Amino acid sequence: MSVEASPMDVPISTDRTRRGQPKLRLPKISRSFLLSSLTVALLLAAWTVVTEMGWANELFLPKPQAVWAAFVKTMTKGYQGATLLQHLGASLYRILTAFALACLVGIPLGVLMGVSGNARALLNPLIEFYRPLPPLGLYTLLVMWLGIGESSKLSLLFLAGLPGIVISTIQAVTSVDPVYVRAAQSLGATRRHLLFHVYLPAAGPLILAGMRISLGFTYTVLVAAEIVAASAGIGWMIWDAAKFLLSDVVIMGLIVLGLTGVVLDLTMRGIARLLMPWART
Amino acid sequence: MMNRLIATLVVSTFALAAAARAEDKPAKVTVGYLNLVNAQLVTKHLGLLGKEMPGVDIKYVKVGGGGDMLRAIAGNDVDFGGLGNPPTAIGATRALPIKGILVINLLDYVEAMVVRTDKNITSLKDLKGKTVAAPFGSTTHYLLLQALKDEGVDPASMKILDLAPSDIAAAWLRGDIDAAWFWEPNLDKAVKNGGKILITSGEMTKRGYPTWDIGVVMNAFAEKYPSYVEKFIKAECEGIDFWLKNPEKTAEIIAEELSLPLPDATRMMKGTGMVPCSKQLTEEYLGTSAKKGKFVDTLISTADFLVKQERLPKLLPRADFEAFLQPAYLEKVIGR
Repeated sequence: MSVEASPMDVPISTDRTRRGQPKLRLPKISRSFLLSSLTVALLLAAWTVVTEMGWANELFLPKPQAVWAAFVKTMTKGYQGATLLQHLGASLYRILTAFALACLVGIPLGVLMGVSGNARALLNPLIEFYRPLPPLGLYTLLVMWLGIGESSKLSLLFLAGLPGIVISTIQAVTSVDPVYVRAAQSLGATRRHLLFHVYLPAAGPLILAGMRISLGFTYTVLVAAEIVAASAGIGWMIWDAAKFLLSDVVIMGLIVLGLTGVVLDLTMRGIARLLMPWART
Repeated sequence: MMNRLIATLVVSTFALAAAARAEDKPAKVTVGYLNLVNAQLVTKHLGLLGKEMPGVDIKYVKVGGGGDMLRAIAGNDVDFGGLGNPPTAIGATRALPIKGILVINLLDYVEAMVVRTDKNITSLKDLKGKTVAAPFGSTTHYLLLQALKDEGVDPASMKILDLAPSDIAAAWLRGDIDAAWFWEPNLDKAVKNGGKILITSGEMTKRGYPTWDIGVVMNAFAEKYPSYVEKFIKAECEGIDFWLKNPEKTAEIIAEELSLPLPDATRMMKGTGMVPCSKQLTEEYLGTSAKKGKFVDTLISTADFLVKQERLPKLLPRADFEAFLQPAYLEKVIGR
């Protein structure tokens, strides 16, 4: 959580850079960075004090050194046949594949539902129904239908990511200022022109925001997806270590998951800024 | 702030202690029982625990396997539980606040490795390149790795998946896995659907790798209500005696508890070894408080194996495993 605080201010400072005040950027970042570091440092200090004083059972809250040692060991020697990077790779492959699929399906679907009221009426019940379903409940059915392999895991992650994209794309498309549309039409724009030169650029920023939320949702379902019959992945590693009460590995895995999540989110923002410099993400 | 917190803690601890002394009777007892075939089902079915503990609210919680039971214990969700020797070794090494008090059952062919008949698997070596499932952290996962090691088969040459017993049965029916080492009542579903038994846990016992389940009690409960630990043991012993004396009726009870046809229940029953409580204090099993039995050796060799598998950080000295086994309660029940 605390780590996430620092990038929050980044977009604002980028705006400033564009307005030609690059010098302002540095102090701005370091101030928020300092404050964020303070939170992290305080948390670490509290953790150290609690464990060093023996206030916490080491079985449940191991010392920071132990977690660091688990990290080093998993990086170099691995955990149950795969190194940390391999576990991370397996998880990222699942997340990114499922997320890409969710975008490929969700964005066109959202545009369609945003432009056409009929399509929205037809498809809304489906999306609204399964969106609030808890992922584990859904997962038991997916495993029965699709088996214990990759396909059920990817489907679960895909289904977790899809509604966020669809709903925000619908919102994005419906909130496009009609003046833009009429202006383009009066200049003789075809439907195709309207889609690619009016709707998508105008709706783009909101769609991207939806993609970020959806990536977050996909991420939160990861451990659930890797509980059944996985043999690699960060989520699986956490689950497996819990069975053997290796809480140092569990906590290390959670920290890695958290940090990776932040990096993924930052990457999404970077891409957004690159693709749509007109948007304030 | 800190002072007030400590004061509150102290006061509430005294209040709790006073309440315990005044009543000396738990309001509720939660028994976590493993989903397998043993006399705990008889005890539960006949309500023997309720007869021993009148006025106590007794709650039974079914737990899928050892890994889940460890989590339930670590989360303080049960008062009594049952664990196979690998999870017991894990719990003892990680200093979970539990003690082993009773032999629940020995594992014979109630646990076995089933292989798909059409895959031509006649030995463990044929498992290379196949998909094999076992509930990780359980007795069968331990035996699978142990058996592979004995035959010189590299576990990395196959895909070993972690699945709960019920998930194994489902995955088997779908054709997702080629072999699995797990236990009844789910094992039978695989055998009946194109499977045959390759090796049983009983055969592994003969090879020097015995597996069993042991009854455990939470330390806090045992300290507060020692007499209720004895009551628990007494009820379970009655269940074991009933099992040994009335096999037909026991099979009926198991058939009903697990919704199975009677012949299946009878066969599964025979695949489970029951040790009468009077014999549990011998050298072969728990031993006595003065001289602990062979279960200590099994725990040590299991823990040693898990350390080599990097599932446990270090092997504890023998004294720690001896301290884990507490035949004292059973000794009182038997009257020694």
